[in-house]
Amino acid sequence: MDTQSPSIDLTIPSELGYEKIAREAVAAFARRFGFDHERIEDLKTALGEVCINAIEHGNACVPGLRVLVHCECGNDRLTVEVHDRGVKQYLAHGPSARIEQKVFGSAPLRGMGLMLISQLVDDVGFSHNPEGGNICRFSLERQQIHANGTRE
Amino acid sequence: MLEDELSVSIRERDGVSIIDLMGDVTTFAEEKINSAYAQVTDHGAKQILLNFRQNDYINSAGIAILIGVVTEVNRNGQRLAVSGLSQHFQRIFRMVGLSQYIDIYQDENEALRGFATAAA
Repeated sequence: MDTQSPSIDLTIPSELGYEKIAREAVAAFARRFGFDHERIEDLKTALGEVCINAIEHGNACVPGLRVLVHCECGNDRLTVEVHDRGVKQYLAHGPSARIEQKVFGSAPLRGMGLMLISQLVDDVGFSHNPEGGNICRFSLERQQIHANGTRE
Repeated sequence: MLEDELSVSIRERDGVSIIDLMGDVTTFAEEKINSAYAQVTDHGAKQILLNFRQNDYINSAGIAILIGVVTEVNRNGQRLAVSGLSQHFQRIFRMVGLSQYIDIYQDENEALRGFATAAA
């Protein structure tokens, strides 16, 4: 990532609930660079889901393992990386089950987090850290880009 | 406890069972929400309103709990609506498809009018 851009780093324990602290910290960072309320809400929801994946899957809720969050802002774009220790991999998911399948019992109720993330941010990708673990990287433009290429 | 623990209370207005939800709707909310739903159902509720208070944090685990409630509502022949969601979470509910099963209203009064119209 660009070392010249303003950035913040934080680490949180692998305990559900700590993702709220990451959400609030990164939201405050985005607010500083003029991201509007709705974009910040998108950011908070997406980051919460990424952190939950890292806590529950990547670090398997092992309290001693940390989730690392790096966030930087440059050129009207906020980029976030979330690192875990890769106890489990959560890459290469297929499409989420449709809500109809969940309501009628043919798919688990959970499992909408990745769909939400991909809908709320402008791009998202998962990779393996060569030093071990998973990395989820996503970014948001200051203005939301719609499917037809227009910006709000 | 890092969660803003969910506070759940039940009341009735104009024949609608209202479940007020204040706080975070996450995996930790499951027992309280399911218990409140079971309680109003045991009392014969046919119209149920989940009344949020502009909750700041509803995550995918919380949405999963609500999908579970939708499953039970369908099974029990009830009608379910939500009110008081922020604009962001109204959009999230549409995004995940919950709006196919739940009527979304801005506030409690609008929801009660919606129930009355549907029952007429």
